[in-house]
Amino acid sequence: MEKLKLNETPVRTSRNYNMNNIKLENIEIPAKIPSFNNVQITGNNSKVSIDSQTSKINLKYGLNKKLLEQLDLYANQKLKLTIDNKTNKETIINFKLDEKEPILLDNIEINANEQTNATVIIKYETTKNVKAFHNAVIRTNAKKDANINIILINLVNLSTDNFISIQNNFEENSRINYTIVDFGGKSSVTNYYSNLVGDNSDNQMNVVYLGRENQLFDLNYIGELRGKKTNFNMEVQGVLRDTAKKHFKGTIDFKKGCKRAKGNENEVCMLLSDTAKSLALPMLLCSEEDVEGNHSTATGKMGEKELFYIMSRGFEYKEAMKLMVRARFNEILDNIKNGEIKNEILQEIDSKLD
Amino acid sequence: MSKLLEIKNLHVNAEEKEILKGINLNINKGEIHVIMGPNGSGKTTTANAILNNPEYTKTEGKIIFDGQDITDLKTDEIARKGIFMSFQLPEEIPGISVTNFLKYAKNKATGKPVKIFEFKDELKKYMEELNMNPKNMERSLNVGFSGGEKKKNEILQMLVLNPKLAILDETDSGLDVDAIKTVSKGIKMFKNDNNAVLIITHNTKILHELKVDYVHVLVNGKIVKTGEQDLAEEIEENGYAQYK
Amino acid sequence: MKTQVEEINRNIYDIKNKDEYDFKIKKGITKEIIEEISDQKNDPEWMREFRLKALEVYNQLEMPTWGPDLSELNMDEIATYVRPKTKLNTSWEDVPEDIKNTFDKLGIPEAEKKSLAGVGAQYDSEVVYHSMKEDLIKQGVIYTDMETAIREYPELVKKHFMKCVPVTDHKFVALHGAVWSGGSFVYVPKGVKVEIPLQSYFRLNSPESGQFEHTLIIVEKGASLHFIEGCSAPKYNKVNLHAGCVELYVKDGAYLRYSTIENWSKNMLNLNTKKAIVGKNAQMDWVSGSFGSKISMLYPMSILNGEGAKTEYTGISFAGKGQNLDTGFKVVHNAPNTSSVVNSKSISKNGGKCTYRSLVRIKENAKNSKSSVSCESLMLDDFSISDTIPVNDIQTDEVEFSHEAKIGKISDKAIFYLMSRGLSEEDAKAMIVRGFAEPIAKELPVEYAVEMNNLINLELEGAIG
Repeated sequence: MEKLKLNETPVRTSRNYNMNNIKLENIEIPAKIPSFNNVQITGNNSKVSIDSQTSKINLKYGLNKKLLEQLDLYANQKLKLTIDNKTNKETIINFKLDEKEPILLDNIEINANEQTNATVIIKYETTKNVKAFHNAVIRTNAKKDANINIILINLVNLSTDNFISIQNNFEENSRINYTIVDFGGKSSVTNYYSNLVGDNSDNQMNVVYLGRENQLFDLNYIGELRGKKTNFNMEVQGVLRDTAKKHFKGTIDFKKGCKRAKGNENEVCMLLSDTAKSLALPMLLCSEEDVEGNHSTATGKMGEKELFYIMSRGFEYKEAMKLMVRARFNEILDNIKNGEIKNEILQEIDSKLD
Repeated sequence: MSKLLEIKNLHVNAEEKEILKGINLNINKGEIHVIMGPNGSGKTTTANAILNNPEYTKTEGKIIFDGQDITDLKTDEIARKGIFMSFQLPEEIPGISVTNFLKYAKNKATGKPVKIFEFKDELKKYMEELNMNPKNMERSLNVGFSGGEKKKNEILQMLVLNPKLAILDETDSGLDVDAIKTVSKGIKMFKNDNNAVLIITHNTKILHELKVDYVHVLVNGKIVKTGEQDLAEEIEENGYAQYK
Repeated sequence: MKTQVEEINRNIYDIKNKDEYDFKIKKGITKEIIEEISDQKNDPEWMREFRLKALEVYNQLEMPTWGPDLSELNMDEIATYVRPKTKLNTSWEDVPEDIKNTFDKLGIPEAEKKSLAGVGAQYDSEVVYHSMKEDLIKQGVIYTDMETAIREYPELVKKHFMKCVPVTDHKFVALHGAVWSGGSFVYVPKGVKVEIPLQSYFRLNSPESGQFEHTLIIVEKGASLHFIEGCSAPKYNKVNLHAGCVELYVKDGAYLRYSTIENWSKNMLNLNTKKAIVGKNAQMDWVSGSFGSKISMLYPMSILNGEGAKTEYTGISFAGKGQNLDTGFKVVHNAPNTSSVVNSKSISKNGGKCTYRSLVRIKENAKNSKSSVSCESLMLDDFSISDTIPVNDIQTDEVEFSHEAKIGKISDKAIFYLMSRGLSEEDAKAMIVRGFAEPIAKELPVEYAVEMNNLINLELEGAIG
């Protein structure tokens, strides 16, 4: 059992606020990493080549040194995707952790070549009662004019610890749409870093999270705008019930030289109980004049008027609540074009709200 | 008639793209001109180029105003020479009241200190004529104004600053019939033999209220036809299709 | 387009008097030095013990691990107590010529005549002038320097002194507890409404020294007060330190407005602490203008302890060359139906750095509370810095919380619009900057709004306004 300190913010603030990092107690980091084979790769994309020749892990941020080192040395799934197709096709990578294989250390590297266009769906799930451990690094390199959709879905159970480190690099005119559905985990800790170096590069980041019982989400999302006319847009919609808790740390960092860059950050958290906790630190850092940066956050309970309206149409409370949560998430979930997967997520929403 | 504005072979780029491709236009004192044209034809660019908006680049041609080459003057210098532009989308400036702004601008325009009481009376008179809510005067410039209020506020500024040439860029767009009447009334109040008006519009409603001297049809960055008031009526009936 | 807004005009503020004093303690922080300050100040025993205890805490606490770099501060180089060559006076006539001249130039006696109900003036470590209108004295209002308060109202002071801001809060509060000197004490009895503001002005003249004034204000039930605080210092080459402490008790149904125009010189480290405890249905309003200092770390705080308590913070900071202004607001909602409104603006230019750092904490018991925060930052060039670092800690669901922040430059479109009306580019920009600061200016009494505009020096005087 260890105490883990991870997910440091790019800028420190007073220690009393408990925002500089997260300290997790009683985390069992497996010392021995067995093999993991329960991965399914499907889809209609014939121009994706997949091998295990991932490069050395060298992240600017990442969750912490130890977890990254573990991945570098002992990853039991290494996937390097090289994307070459010009029309948008889909690749689905589905990991399932179970009693036999409860430990997954996956190192995923997505290289999208110039002018390519593709969707990659990465899904993590567990069997119902397994106490699993998941540590992942997902790196994406978008070359010139590449246009990539990445959809990351975390549906692991509430006994599992889920750690994900993400880094994206952008060349000129490239675009990554990153959609994260963060539902599972006893603690789900994500570090997301986009490095928008190429001029005109664009990162749309959309996140939904839904917490129940004692779940903890620690979300540290960082966008650095370096190239001219770069654009970073972060939209985070969350719902917390019971004693669930989330720490949101969102940073938009306008670096010198990012003339005419734009950064937007919108974080909305709906609290469904008076014991759910929402802690947020939406940062705007700016060293360039000719930019536009906005952030907004809002926290509160479900709109009573809307709730009343829906219930007056014959829906009972729970149904009405589900409807409203779905409505919140809908815009973001619309990014998921795969009907089957989207359905699975909608069902998960319903079951988490039961 | 003495010449007021002369545009010679004007070419203008916006973000590297050529929008105006050689415009020629002469406006004399005492005249009302209209430039009509479909969306994207270069109407707003023409107005902005006259005021030398730095977002637009002149690549060729000249603009002479009152006998002086103003092609490369800065916007404020052009304004102080007596050209006024009513904006299609007037900017909101928080923290500066309409009264204070106009007082300051008038001061700049005339180069003399403004006499407060006379100024306030003048303002009050114009506002009554334009059906404006006097409370707006103490509000921040254009902040939270409705579309109609913003447009009337532009006309008010025109009357107060009393330029030699007023350019009205789509001042009529988005207004209801009553508001258009009010705007026309403002133009009539302003107009005399020593000044001129250039109306830029894509519809003809406002022209029913005013007597205009020349109508120019602007299509794809060029003036393709010039006529009198009846040209506007013809376009109202047939549209721009024949000029494309 | 490049923006050029004039540097803040500091002529008046930079007038240095000779470093003349009655007593200046040797530099550094040791037990002996603290004891000597206590001797010099003729402290009662409890205060002497308090100082020594604070020193112990100071020695235990670490420097902040966040925010601006304070490494150039060497406490061994700072004299923490400088007694001017005068006693406390109640008439400006009695204040020594050079000191009086300084306050004359800052416009304090003039403002006192025109628009204030009472004035306190501190020079280095001691208050040199204190006076209040007769009718307020009759109503039982107390406005005096802290030293007099300790002598004359020991129980009242003892009960409140560093209870709102405990010395354990952070290192510089502990330092303050050990070396504090001067400051103002205000007591407004139940139901008394002080209609005209009181003002204290703090002037630090002595080089390589610190100012550690303590302001303690108690506004009793249903009473109201507007208090203004001004501060400045001439510029020296080595750092000066300001670590004042402001404690405000706003009792049930009371109202307090606390306005600050801070214009320390650009060698000043301004590490100030201000906190208010707000009772049931009471209201605490902060107005804060930060223009001076090399480094500021200043986060006024309201603790909304009573049901229905309200607070508003309106602040602006303007950082120029070499300045790092780390400011913001903290509020803890600690009772039902409380509300807070924050409106913060900052302007960064010429390499200056503004940081908005804040905390909104809505505790589990603060049902039906509301909080709305808005911050706007203006960048006037491409080598300045502007950061927004707000922490929002929401611990219950029955709340309405929203936070908005914007960062950017002066809009080219707005500049063009104003220029099309005949304003020069400089005038247009200055007008926009001034409009940006207007929501803060309008919260200040007229004289101070004018002072603020002078500080921004937009040279629009007479033409506008």
